[in-house]
Amino acid sequence: MNKGGAGGVGGGGSGSSGGGSGPTAAAVAAAAQKQKTLLQRVEADISNIVDNFTHLVNVSRVNDLPVRNSQEAFMMEMRAARMVQTADSLLKLVSELKQTAIFSGFASLNDHVEQRTVEFNQQAEKADHMLARIGEEAAASLKELELHYFSLAERASDIPQL
Amino acid sequence: MDGKLEVSLDRLPVKRLDAIEENGLEHFPPDVGYDERRLSLIRRVDFAWAIEKDDNKKQKKSSKESSKPWQWQGMVENLQLAHQELSIIIDLINTVEANDAVTVAGMTRPKPLPNEVLSDLSVSAATKLQCFRHLGKYFKQSAKALEQQVAREARFYGALIRLQQNWKVKRQRGAASAPGSEGFTIDLFDNSLYDPAAVFRPSSLSTVHVDHDSAGMLSINLPPNSYRSLQFGFSGPHTDDSLREPFKMKTSSTRESEKESVSDDECVKETHSLLREVHQAIFDEQVFDLVSREAFNPSLGVNVTGIQENYLQMSIGQGTSVFISITPSSQGDQTVESSGTQNLDNAILPLDTLDGVMLPEEEQDTPKQKWGLPNRVSYEIYLQQIFHEHVFLRAKDRPIYAGNRISGQGAKDGCGLLVHFCMSLSHRIFSNKVLMELDNVVCRVPYLQLISHPTWHSRTSSWTLFMKVPQSILRAGCLAHTSNNHRVKNVIKCQFQTKVVVNDDCINVEGEGAPNVVGLFKGNSEEISSMNRYNCDLADLSVIILQQVASQIIGWLHEEALLVGIKVNRDFLCLSFELEQGETLSLVAHVDPEDTRGCISWWLVMDDSFNEERELHIDISDGASEYKKFLGHLSLDVLYSTLMDLVSLCCGGGSL
Repeated sequence: MNKGGAGGVGGGGSGSSGGGSGPTAAAVAAAAQKQKTLLQRVEADISNIVDNFTHLVNVSRVNDLPVRNSQEAFMMEMRAARMVQTADSLLKLVSELKQTAIFSGFASLNDHVEQRTVEFNQQAEKADHMLARIGEEAAASLKELELHYFSLAERASDIPQL
Repeated sequence: MDGKLEVSLDRLPVKRLDAIEENGLEHFPPDVGYDERRLSLIRRVDFAWAIEKDDNKKQKKSSKESSKPWQWQGMVENLQLAHQELSIIIDLINTVEANDAVTVAGMTRPKPLPNEVLSDLSVSAATKLQCFRHLGKYFKQSAKALEQQVAREARFYGALIRLQQNWKVKRQRGAASAPGSEGFTIDLFDNSLYDPAAVFRPSSLSTVHVDHDSAGMLSINLPPNSYRSLQFGFSGPHTDDSLREPFKMKTSSTRESEKESVSDDECVKETHSLLREVHQAIFDEQVFDLVSREAFNPSLGVNVTGIQENYLQMSIGQGTSVFISITPSSQGDQTVESSGTQNLDNAILPLDTLDGVMLPEEEQDTPKQKWGLPNRVSYEIYLQQIFHEHVFLRAKDRPIYAGNRISGQGAKDGCGLLVHFCMSLSHRIFSNKVLMELDNVVCRVPYLQLISHPTWHSRTSSWTLFMKVPQSILRAGCLAHTSNNHRVKNVIKCQFQTKVVVNDDCINVEGEGAPNVVGLFKGNSEEISSMNRYNCDLADLSVIILQQVASQIIGWLHEEALLVGIKVNRDFLCLSFELEQGETLSLVAHVDPEDTRGCISWWLVMDDSFNEERELHIDISDGASEYKKFLGHLSLDVLYSTLMDLVSLCCGGGSL
């Protein structure tokens, strides 16, 4: 029932996440079918829980027959276990939805990836400009230092005079 | 029983006459039946003592219990009584069952008393209430467990979503889908290569499994030493630094133990860092692969001299050997980033061209050792950078800014990158040697200056040797008396330049000063010195530079002499004055790069045309001959004043 795994690759099944751009008709139908299935599961689970709880409340009456009370005690335990099991399956459904959201939100993923690409390109450009600026400043400093060094008076006085 | 025993005697069983009638009939007492007799005997037993005993016991018990009444005493007594009655009934039933003659005709349940009904009801109600309470506890436990599971999942998926914004997350179905691991993997393989034909196999590191740790949080477990990094260095006896770890961030060994206490944000950041390290490791492996392939293409400048597993040694020019290897990045090392920044803090500013970042080694004492091998780390980065830019980026995605350092070198395909890299490195080493030679010369000639020109090209270096001559006081006044060309020349010739350009390992010297032969014959000063450009070797560089400078000085002195109006002749390194007696007085320059007192020294040589035995010796001997005098290493000012003295000598006549 669940889709096979594929992340980062454009594919079908994005209808539930807001209508992908240009999915085929089969993909749209599959998405609608899946959505319907999930909704059915949700409804079944919730009605299951409500049903069990109703039964649980209904047997709260104390009967004269102790055997009937014992029966009802066992039934109550069974209903409670069923309720917890249904709640667990609902949570699993939520997990599946989360996974689907992670792997099928292509539009937002693509936007984010493009945004990050632009950011990184800008950072790289900035770094490159900075490196160029550092190089230029270093060259200027080097030139200044060289001029300063070679114009030192004491350097000129090292040579013995006649 | 007490010792007191009472005994009663029965009458003898003799029939005694009750009554006799007048007619003589005797009345005896009737006979007692067996049962009656037994009964009367039983009645005669005196149970008073037992009754008294029981009464005593009861009194004692009641006296004891009256002090501490037990709350369940009544219930216990009731239960005991009920137990007794039940045992009697059971015995009766067993007797009836054992006796075939008697059967139970029917049993009717006694009508329950109201209090019994109510107590039954209360017991049932209590039981049901207990059952509900038990269910309540069960629901609470389950709710708590489910909440915890939800929280764990929220953390996990939150972290996974954040990772997915930077990395390619894939889901595997059909694998062991235990609740703990849903089979997520992160694919680190970069398939956006510029050259698809490069055939990069996805390495085993490309797929990283996402696991859950004990707290349910996302974790990535990589075995230690599973990923490797590129190492580049110089091999051979002249390398003085031990191989340092690559300039990368490393994770500390205590990361695993501290994981529990870090927040989710830090956990995600650490995972990002780890994935980035693995990504870099994959890139390093690909670079090593490419380098290995290129190294075995026959090419100039690169010769493979050693090969081991994950290790390649090559000899580039200049007698240098380098090696490239892939070594495991062991976790638990000291963070290299701090030592790297330390290296940057202690770096000396390079006095060299700025092709890429260059950090010298530790401080050295002698200038000769200062220009040793280039910085290993910078060339490691350079190697990675050129491969990244030319192989791993698509042509259309190549950013616009790229080209500060590479654009001037033209488009390179994959097979020339290693050669380019090795030639850059050998050029760097060679240019260091050239700079050392120039530095030696400039240090010893004080009126010479060295100016570096950054070329921003990894295989070209350029310097200029600059000499400024003193301004003549006559120059300003003579401008009106000379020709235009000459005046322009005099205005320009305050400084002389010699340009040294190194391309790869080719030295090109360009400067004025060396006269051409034609100009010498014509005797025209305009054609004597012109801009010359020629190549030379490293060994000859110092001599050639010094000769260039000396000839520039001679040229300048020649110009100054002409300005004054004295007829002088100029040879390559010799300025000759004609004296009145037909003698020639020459000022000769002598260049010696090994002279520590100064590389250019001056001699005054007297040439008498009448004496043919005298020759022009240019040696370092003490100028003891009366025809040669050693003047020493003169500054330009002193040279100028010497020239003026010679000029006055020529004008005034006289002899030495």
